[in-house]
Amino acid sequence: MTSSIYLPERGEPIIVQGITGRFGSLHTKLMLQYGTNVAAGVTPGKQGETIEGVPVYDKVFDAVERTGAKASILFVPAPFFLAAAEEAILAGVKLLVSITERIPVRDELELISLAQEHGVTVVGPNTPGVILPGRKVKMGIMPAPSFRPGRIALFSRSGTLMYEIANQLSTHGFGQCVALGIGGDPINGKPITDYFDWIRDFDEADAVVTVGEIGGDTEEKLAQYIKDTGFPKPVFAYVAGRAAPKEKKMGHAGAIIYGNFGTAESKISAFKAAGVQVAMTPMEIPELVGRKLRPS
Amino acid sequence: MRLFEYQGKELFVKYGIPIPNSRVVRELAEVDAAIDAVGLPAVVKAQVLAGGRGKAGGVAVVRSEQEARTEAARIMGLRISGEKPSALLIESATVDPKEMYLAVTLDRGKRCFVVIASKAGGVEVESLAGRVIEPVPLDGLTTERATSIATRIGFTGGETRASYVDILLKLERLSREVECELAEINPLAIAGDTLMALDSKIILDDNALFRHPEFAQLPPEDPMEGEAAKEGFAFVRLDGDIAVVGNGAGLVLSTLDLVSDAGGKPACFLDLGGGSQQDRVEAALRLVRRLPNAKKVLVNIFGGITRTTDVAAGLKNVITEQPMQPVYARISGAEEAEARKMLEGTPIRLYATAPEAVKAVVSAG
Repeated sequence: MTSSIYLPERGEPIIVQGITGRFGSLHTKLMLQYGTNVAAGVTPGKQGETIEGVPVYDKVFDAVERTGAKASILFVPAPFFLAAAEEAILAGVKLLVSITERIPVRDELELISLAQEHGVTVVGPNTPGVILPGRKVKMGIMPAPSFRPGRIALFSRSGTLMYEIANQLSTHGFGQCVALGIGGDPINGKPITDYFDWIRDFDEADAVVTVGEIGGDTEEKLAQYIKDTGFPKPVFAYVAGRAAPKEKKMGHAGAIIYGNFGTAESKISAFKAAGVQVAMTPMEIPELVGRKLRPS
Repeated sequence: MRLFEYQGKELFVKYGIPIPNSRVVRELAEVDAAIDAVGLPAVVKAQVLAGGRGKAGGVAVVRSEQEARTEAARIMGLRISGEKPSALLIESATVDPKEMYLAVTLDRGKRCFVVIASKAGGVEVESLAGRVIEPVPLDGLTTERATSIATRIGFTGGETRASYVDILLKLERLSREVECELAEINPLAIAGDTLMALDSKIILDDNALFRHPEFAQLPPEDPMEGEAAKEGFAFVRLDGDIAVVGNGAGLVLSTLDLVSDAGGKPACFLDLGGGSQQDRVEAALRLVRRLPNAKKVLVNIFGGITRTTDVAAGLKNVITEQPMQPVYARISGAEEAEARKMLEGTPIRLYATAPEAVKAVVSAG
């Protein structure tokens, strides 16, 4: 078992599972345009084809052997996701970015158990992925122009809200060293506190912006962690869903309030008690950050 | 997806969890036959998915056939949190039971399934006395582990503990095989040596329904939500007058907050999803056009993978094909200048930022 996070360096090879699908091939092109070294793709039965000049293999094992990739991004449909992820882990992949959404909870739990056993970082599922602008690494579907190199670490449970807030930050001169979607499902591959453990000693990051939403207790646990461990970098938060009704899934499988559990109020007050600066709208984030940090 | 109590109890029967003798009644004419079958006294229960059924008067104990007819008619006419009962469950009343709580549910924080067990019953699960929470391994509970749970909540041994362990193991197997987010028996009644599930609350993992086609056939809770689901939208009906449409769950959620902070009331939450194309924008607008309580429409798009020109083309088509509610839009991101140009001369009101669009839609009469 390990809580360390592995993300690729500049120019490191990565592979794309489900590369021949409409979504997989579109984003292969966009990731290549960004500068990411997409070295191989995998789709069973399509070996020998190329997508955007990238060779396609039937098996992850072959793609990994030919390229030395340790990271994979998955666009595999939900019913086939678990088998594809297991194949990647057994082939020695150390980072799985799971764009796939609508994965059954029990499949996610099995994946997490296997990933922990093999020391694998799972980003998502149901994530826009991860982008490291300073390294020109984009393993995800986020719109590249919203992100600029810089010294903010941005974590989000939501995709578009991550783009919106990254865009606001970039416009105000606060670029990002990493922006990562932890996932919109009830269960995430990595708990957010693992990412904070990593950021604590990550010298490219001066501050953290975290974007939460209703449902579960991710934010409450994070607030407790920040308080208990004396997290050394400034943390800024936004939590969506103050006006959401109870007992209704608000788009994400994980965004649901049961009884009084998972409300925005609970999360906001937990953050405030931990000394986290809380913005009431996405637009307020750059202003709060500007009080502590200088724009570049 | 949440099941009705009677559907949950059908699963209990299938897995061998004891329930009272009961009948599902859809017409008042069937009440007499149901009472004949289950005997008196009996309990008449509204079959609704909304919570707070008891407080709303949706449950009645009846002691005569006449009383059964009167109560059945009254309950059928109720609206519980706006929901009309889709049926009644009539079952033989358990006399003076001791009530306990038992559930298998996903613990998001612990990232595993857990058993929550208490010898005390009650509506507020969080405050149950002597509650035990036990993680469940992915391949299920062993008899030893189930027995340990039973012992810890106060079953010292004998027949009753054996029956309790049996029910616990069956509930856990049901939860695993049917792929439930929640499988709850509240209350689990104990009368003498007999244990029985008096109520059921089952929430299925929607994402696992492709492995359980028998449930995929169930009609959606709200026809419009069903229609939206078919289009691939996340849609939640709300009771205000401003339809809120956007791309991405978080962005729409955040827009609801902005509307509500500005003093407005959202009529719905509609997430187009990422990478939305023109036809999806059109389908979404045609849906909110028919939403009776939506007097105004707010569209909040942050274009990234979604092309703002696709959104503009969709908006333009729908607004020009037939009259609809006034539309207020913020469309930002790649190609936004071109998108704005496409909408010139249409009745769509465009704003540069989300707060400006929100302010305008809320203050409009």
